[in-house]
Amino acid sequence: MSSHNVTIFGYLIVLACGVTLQVLAIRMPERLPTLGEVFTHVMRTRTGRVGVLVAWAWIGLHFFAR
Amino acid sequence: MTDATHEARDDQLAVSAREGSVSVGHATVAGLRQPIVAVLLLIAFFTTISGKPLDGFLMLTVATLLVWDAARSLMGASAAAGRRDVAARPADSSSKKALKGLGWLTGGGLYAGIVGSFSRYSWPATIAVVALGCLMVAVGWQGPLRHRQAPGARSLRRAWLWAVVLVTGGLWELSSLLQQPHLTTDSYAHPTISALTDPLLVSHPGRSVALGAWLLIGWFLVGR
Repeated sequence: MSSHNVTIFGYLIVLACGVTLQVLAIRMPERLPTLGEVFTHVMRTRTGRVGVLVAWAWIGLHFFAR
Repeated sequence: MTDATHEARDDQLAVSAREGSVSVGHATVAGLRQPIVAVLLLIAFFTTISGKPLDGFLMLTVATLLVWDAARSLMGASAAAGRRDVAARPADSSSKKALKGLGWLTGGGLYAGIVGSFSRYSWPATIAVVALGCLMVAVGWQGPLRHRQAPGARSLRRAWLWAVVLVTGGLWELSSLLQQPHLTTDSYAHPTISALTDPLLVSHPGRSVALGAWLLIGWFLVGR
């Protein structure tokens, strides 16, 4: 397997882990938080909210802005 | 240091502020001590030296505003007001909510369609993305758009699993970035997410779809 494919495989594994966690969290809400609940918890403070929203804005800047 | 330790120290500072013993310098240092401020300052520095001064300027601005906000709260002897969000805004009726949703959907679609027609890294695209980013941060600054039930403490004990996934993804991306021949030169052998998405963002429809996804994520976040 080439380095290119290994790198892409790595991204796909991380994505699959995220999807699996989300599905497990929906099926077992008392044992595992969903991604939305984690964000709700992180964003309960002003600094948390602003930090997460700035990270989101930075993604837009990174892909589209000069 | 735990959240509880931070909160106890901030509460102590708030008591000192009420007693009139907190100076502007102390309040500013308390604001600077917030981890998010350090992270934003680091991002501002690294994005500026890597040739994205606008990103750096915006990160620096937000970091400064956060320090100012924290210092102001402390000087006003209301650290809790700065740290805790204001109550969520009152909920709309279902018909008003549907109309609002339709309006946002139409506006979002128009935004993605129009801004997607601009080339990447052009000034029109930059202005549109910066304006929306600033607007969303300003909206988020005011507090959540709607009330959400806090997740149970029991399930949150396993939130670290999400941290593992997100940090692993970030480290994988970072390792690809560092294996490039140069920070600004893509590598076929070790593609970053940016390099992998380049073919999609070449076309107008591709850019519009990506902008639509970015908007949806922003909407999901601002409602938390």
